[in-house]
Amino acid sequence: MTSSLTSPPGESRVSLPATTWLRVFFRLFAVQGSWNYETLLGNGIAFCMEPALRLLPSGRDNPRYAEALARHARYFNAHPYFAGVAVGALARAELDGVSPALIERFRTALGGPLGSVGDRLVWASWLPLCSLLALAAFGYGARPSLVIAIFLGTYNAGHLFLRAWGLRAGFSKGLRVASALGNPILRKGPQVVGSAAALLAGIAIPLAASRVIGNGRFLAAEIILVAMLGGVVFARFGGRVEGWRLSLVILGLFVFFSVIR
Amino acid sequence: MILVDLLPIILLGAFLGMDVVSFPQAMISRPIVAATAAGAFIGNAPAGLIMGAILELLALEMLPFGASRYPEWGSASVVGGTLYAESWGSPAGALTASLLAALLTAMVSGWSMVKLRRLNALRSATVREELDRGSASAIAGLQLFGLTADLVRGALVTMVAMLVFSPIVPAIVGRWSVDARLSRAIVVGVVAAVAAGAIWKIFHSVSGARLLFIAGLAIGAVLVVLR
Amino acid sequence: MSVTLYRIDDRLIHGQVVVGWGQPLNIGFIVLVDDDIACCDWEQDLYRMGVPPEMEIVFTDVKGAISNHAGYVSDKRRGIVVTPDIATMHRLVDGVKTIGDVNVGGIHYKAGRTPRLRYAFLSPEEERELSVIAEHGVRVTAQDVPNARQVSIAELLLSKPVEEKSA
Repeated sequence: MTSSLTSPPGESRVSLPATTWLRVFFRLFAVQGSWNYETLLGNGIAFCMEPALRLLPSGRDNPRYAEALARHARYFNAHPYFAGVAVGALARAELDGVSPALIERFRTALGGPLGSVGDRLVWASWLPLCSLLALAAFGYGARPSLVIAIFLGTYNAGHLFLRAWGLRAGFSKGLRVASALGNPILRKGPQVVGSAAALLAGIAIPLAASRVIGNGRFLAAEIILVAMLGGVVFARFGGRVEGWRLSLVILGLFVFFSVIR
Repeated sequence: MILVDLLPIILLGAFLGMDVVSFPQAMISRPIVAATAAGAFIGNAPAGLIMGAILELLALEMLPFGASRYPEWGSASVVGGTLYAESWGSPAGALTASLLAALLTAMVSGWSMVKLRRLNALRSATVREELDRGSASAIAGLQLFGLTADLVRGALVTMVAMLVFSPIVPAIVGRWSVDARLSRAIVVGVVAAVAAGAIWKIFHSVSGARLLFIAGLAIGAVLVVLR
Repeated sequence: MSVTLYRIDDRLIHGQVVVGWGQPLNIGFIVLVDDDIACCDWEQDLYRMGVPPEMEIVFTDVKGAISNHAGYVSDKRRGIVVTPDIATMHRLVDGVKTIGDVNVGGIHYKAGRTPRLRYAFLSPEEERELSVIAEHGVRVTAQDVPNARQVSIAELLLSKPVEEKSA
């Protein structure tokens, strides 16, 4: 390992104009547009970064512009909402003239943690919480437009904040972005959201089940009790079985039984 | 249902299918939104919402990690919401048959996403030299290709599913022999069990999750009685 | 045995490892075995951010992993040992004779590699090295997440590029 690879460089000398920031930000919504099993997010990262690379001295005519695009179009993976952190940090490294070897090393190290942080905070915490909130509202009798508004409003408040924060943090911190990922919201957030989701799940599942069943509290109570016991069994012993596939089989058999009877 | 009548539903399925991964990932493709929107498209949002809530309970389990394989709920929920809203008024069997159609669509649509990802890789390989030269137009072209292909994928899945299941669901409902409430109870029992299991799998490592879930159940039970 | 998974994954710490395997298996620690990262603080800082506060991450080179392996095994918590490539896992398996299973979790596209699974691209050299690991009596399988189908090394190596199959 060469000494230039042992530490990231210091402060940035470049700022991102508002129009460039907006161009990059809106492109981030399509960062997974060409997702594939070979380069995963790679092409999307280069696509999002391109407006920022135009800020290189001499812009598109600078040989570094094409070199950087080629570098970032290769294999890369991250959570899509946190891809902005990578785009910002890597764009800044390119504009600061950081050595390609260090950028390559940084890219390799950055993807996994961005995937892990995003998966824990968004897919395994925020999304289930917002789903449960919408299900609780549905179960309590909210009309369709209100249920949708609650889900989309809550979920996307977090979604848009994360995308914007990520790009800003990435560009301002550059290769020292690990300090931004140490933000308490990202570190402790999944635990806090998880606690709220566990409580809300207890409220939402019986309420939603009861509304689907309709009138008949005793039937609802019996079904919910059976479902909870089934849930415990499924969680304990069904680790390798996907619930939706199991449901598909059970419902298929039920339809068959009811039709041929 | 003829193809022209299906057009709005196909377009909705295409756009919501694209939201799952490609653009804009605002989770308008989640079942509780997508099925309700489909129900609203044919004038019965409450029916769409019921189908959406059931599919949402099932979808809680599948965390959409980028590279792993999972069902595609966006287009499937549009299909499920539409079919159930169309069968509204003939409750016995309609919910079960529409849900089964939605789950089969989700499975096929998940498979189509894998094929799309392979197609994107093939397309990427054909322009690899340009990508290696750092061509901005090749990079943007590849994004545009993937987005368009995903839109077409969602449209095809929705169209085929609607053409296949539109006649099958009423046929099943016509021959349905189990009591309507018992039918609903079985559906709810299965999806609620999957949802409870999913919550356990996702949150069991959170400190105090078990107690919080039980406390929630107590509150939920009170609300069910008071509602 | 408290090491529940020996995984080859070029992304090292990411969602499939921390959430996909970490949550259902109740993982308490991850050992990241990589000679380069073991001596680079800023890279360790990045990987550390990918792991939840309640999970410990240990950075070590192959030599350290071999000498400390007994400690990982006797740990009361469950753990995952992850290496970035097949060569590193091969050296680890050579040094620790008690490793019984190795999981191929993610080896991604690079020039010279052929697609075997959607998450496993292998060069001829890597295929040979996997076979050598298996010849040591280690059960080598491919599986990205716990509810996916486990693919045997025979299916992985002897077939043409493997078609997508579900669990």
